[in-house]
Amino acid sequence: MSLGTFAGLWTSPLAIVVALSVVIGLLMVVLFGYTSDQKAIGVAKDRLKAHLLAVRLYRDQIPVVMGSYGKILRGTGVYLKLAFKPLLYVIIPITLLMVQIDRYLGSTPIALNSPFLFSVHLAQPSGPSSAESGLNDVSIEVPPEISTTAPPVHSVTQNDVVWRLVGSKDGQYRVKVNAGGSSVDKQVCIGSGLPRISTIRFRGHFWDRLFSSAEPPLPENSVIDSIAINYPDRSIEMFGYGMNWIWLFFILSMIAGFIFKELLGIQI
Amino acid sequence: MIILGVDGLDPDLLAKYMAEGKMPNFSRLAAQGSFEKLTTSIPPQSPVAWSNLITGMDAGGHGIFDFIHRDPKTFQLYFSTSRVEPPKHNFHLGNWVVPLGSGTAEQLRHGKAFWEILDDHHVPNSVYRIPANFPPITAKGKTLSGMGTPDLRGTYGTFTFYTDDPAAAVGAVEGGEILQVEVKNNRVASNLVGPDNSFRKNSPPATEPFTVDVDPLEAVARISFQDQQFVLKEGEWSGWVPVEFQLMPVIGNVKGICRFYLKQAHPRFQLYVSPINIDPENPALPISTPSNYSRDLAKQIGEYHTQGIAEDTKALTAGVLDDKEYLEQAHTVLAEHRRAFDVEFPKFHDGLFFFYFSSLDLNAHMLWRLTDPQHPAYDPALAAQYGNALEEFYQQIDQVLGETLPRVDENTTLLVLSDHGFAPYRHSFNLNTWLLNNGYITRKGGAPGDPNEPFADVDWSRSRAYGLGLNGLYLNVRGRERDGIVDPNQSDALLREIRQKLLEVRDPKDQSQVITRIDFATEVYQGPYAHSGPEALVGYNRGYRAGWKTILGAFTPEVLEDNTNAWSGDHCMDFTKVPGVILSNRKLAAKSPALTDIAPTILSQFGIAKTKDMRGQSVFESQ
Repeated sequence: MSLGTFAGLWTSPLAIVVALSVVIGLLMVVLFGYTSDQKAIGVAKDRLKAHLLAVRLYRDQIPVVMGSYGKILRGTGVYLKLAFKPLLYVIIPITLLMVQIDRYLGSTPIALNSPFLFSVHLAQPSGPSSAESGLNDVSIEVPPEISTTAPPVHSVTQNDVVWRLVGSKDGQYRVKVNAGGSSVDKQVCIGSGLPRISTIRFRGHFWDRLFSSAEPPLPENSVIDSIAINYPDRSIEMFGYGMNWIWLFFILSMIAGFIFKELLGIQI
Repeated sequence: MIILGVDGLDPDLLAKYMAEGKMPNFSRLAAQGSFEKLTTSIPPQSPVAWSNLITGMDAGGHGIFDFIHRDPKTFQLYFSTSRVEPPKHNFHLGNWVVPLGSGTAEQLRHGKAFWEILDDHHVPNSVYRIPANFPPITAKGKTLSGMGTPDLRGTYGTFTFYTDDPAAAVGAVEGGEILQVEVKNNRVASNLVGPDNSFRKNSPPATEPFTVDVDPLEAVARISFQDQQFVLKEGEWSGWVPVEFQLMPVIGNVKGICRFYLKQAHPRFQLYVSPINIDPENPALPISTPSNYSRDLAKQIGEYHTQGIAEDTKALTAGVLDDKEYLEQAHTVLAEHRRAFDVEFPKFHDGLFFFYFSSLDLNAHMLWRLTDPQHPAYDPALAAQYGNALEEFYQQIDQVLGETLPRVDENTTLLVLSDHGFAPYRHSFNLNTWLLNNGYITRKGGAPGDPNEPFADVDWSRSRAYGLGLNGLYLNVRGRERDGIVDPNQSDALLREIRQKLLEVRDPKDQSQVITRIDFATEVYQGPYAHSGPEALVGYNRGYRAGWKTILGAFTPEVLEDNTNAWSGDHCMDFTKVPGVILSNRKLAAKSPALTDIAPTILSQFGIAKTKDMRGQSVFESQ
């Protein structure tokens, strides 16, 4: 394998997801091992196994079976309680990490010469017609590599204006939006590869911004509530089936976690 | 061996364009090898003709007599080539119907296909879009089903047209549905109509909502559907849009694809939505072998029409699409076929490669009136604008042949062939009305029955014959039809009587003979199904064809009518008047080659003997 091919692997979304799954699977297991009461988890699991065995052995003695079912329920509760604290340590950083990874792997850039929608949603409608609502005052300025292919659609019911654009050259651009006497802009990624993509730019919306946007917020005094681009979802193919990277990551990191727990002797 | 199957390639038109220097690759092939007329099937209809080609048998052997067949006991009509059945057993849970088992898609063509025999002899083969192969039979090679493949609603194609025009004729039209919508605050909210939902009581159609935001001033709109949005200018087509209909939560979803066309934004809203095709990436019914081939092809060429008759002729006929719009759609279909050809042909190295093109057939049906000043639907202005459109489709097929010829070496046999030719369809002959007027059909007294039900008000106890399908003439035979009255021993005499009278029918306008031949099934069919179809096949003269209503068992006031429909060319006539063509890089030995010779020809090219059921013989052997 040449160096070029090796380097190329790390721009392959599949290779990245596989590597991330293995590393994060290992980290999750190690972190779980350090933050959990391993001895108590071991005891809880052993008790659960014992009660399950009792159900099988004494299946002709209904009172014993029923009692065992009750103990299994109680034992499961104990086990979940023991696992909850370490899971909290694991889940929060992993979720934040996944949100960041999703910026790269969740969507693909807009393909060259493919139409895409650029939607500007206003904060508050001020009138029943597009003129009165301020929609007619919204305009955009595009760089030379991007062009409009249809007149904008003004929708009073949705309180937005939508442009159909097309990009002619690979790159990251900024489209300027003029509204309410001020201007803001929005990143647009054209081409291929794994750029950091922001599908939407918000004014406010802290939690939405945390999970969905990779751009700074719009100014608080802007009349614009959000600017969005309909980037295509990225589908990663494995064994002939395409899927979102999160599903693939979930499956692979679980497999990696189960392998590492055995290798490291950690109780989960 | 390479076969290009070009539906409806007409020998006279081809010779004319070749003489004018417009088909240089066909001229080159004809000069190098052979160019002959190819005797078509009886009747000369595509499902019958391609079944003749596929099996080497006539309709008596493969059992396909028409596009439409009937159940003689119930007079229910059904597509001749395939049947899609829901699960046989269900249980009901409130308004839900839970199936116990799966539905089936069954191919009704009988006989062994030539590629099955090639498979048996380990000859590699690929057969693309051949008609009368839905669902595709088990095959080792790549096959994709063609004509006969339904849309997601199980029809030969049902478009939907949404308009707020109060003058629009809302309701079902042939091949489509026109729906009234309201534009409120520049927004339209309506539903896409999908397949009947057999998970629900009474199987109502599944629907999915969509909205259209029309710009108040500009002729442009945004369409929002499921999780997709796109913008169309007036007069623009969308690409393929994936659609998912939820039939039952979690377990019962079907996927399709469709295209949108914003015909008008202002002052009237007009939106056309194509028939919902089976999604080749997630086919709801089997359309290819291997089953994932349709998906692999889509990955290479993008989504494509899977519906067998892809050109939306019905939308043009209904006036929903005009000629320009129809031609745009028809060019998209041919472009898809050419993309598939360009991807698959380079992969061919050994064995048989068969590729089918539908464009000349469907476009000759629709565009003939623009080339024929004698046609009742001829319009000089439209003719000036689109009169060359059919010729341009012919030239595109010549380009395909141009891509093919460089790959043909001394070890390769090339056949370019069609199932039938073409003729003008200027006048409709309403066979059932003629039978009624001549006392062979008697209607019940009182109010007429449901016009949508075939033969709704026919008194079968006093009716001896009926017409069904494009060429079929049936007798109401005792013991076969539900209320049959014709003694089987008397049927021959009755048929001869009707034949004599039909051959005497003249067009009062110019005394033209309307029907030039009538073939009896007993004389022209061989095989186990020879008696399953019509007793006789009506062969119309050039310029005449069965009317649209009569073929479905309805009655019209007049026996003969001018055809002012956009569907203006046809071939469902006297089979001797609409032969197909055969061209080859090798000299043909057969004096009058026929469609039934093609399967034996293919087999003989690979040293395989024809089966005993096959009627023809190799065209490279003298007959």
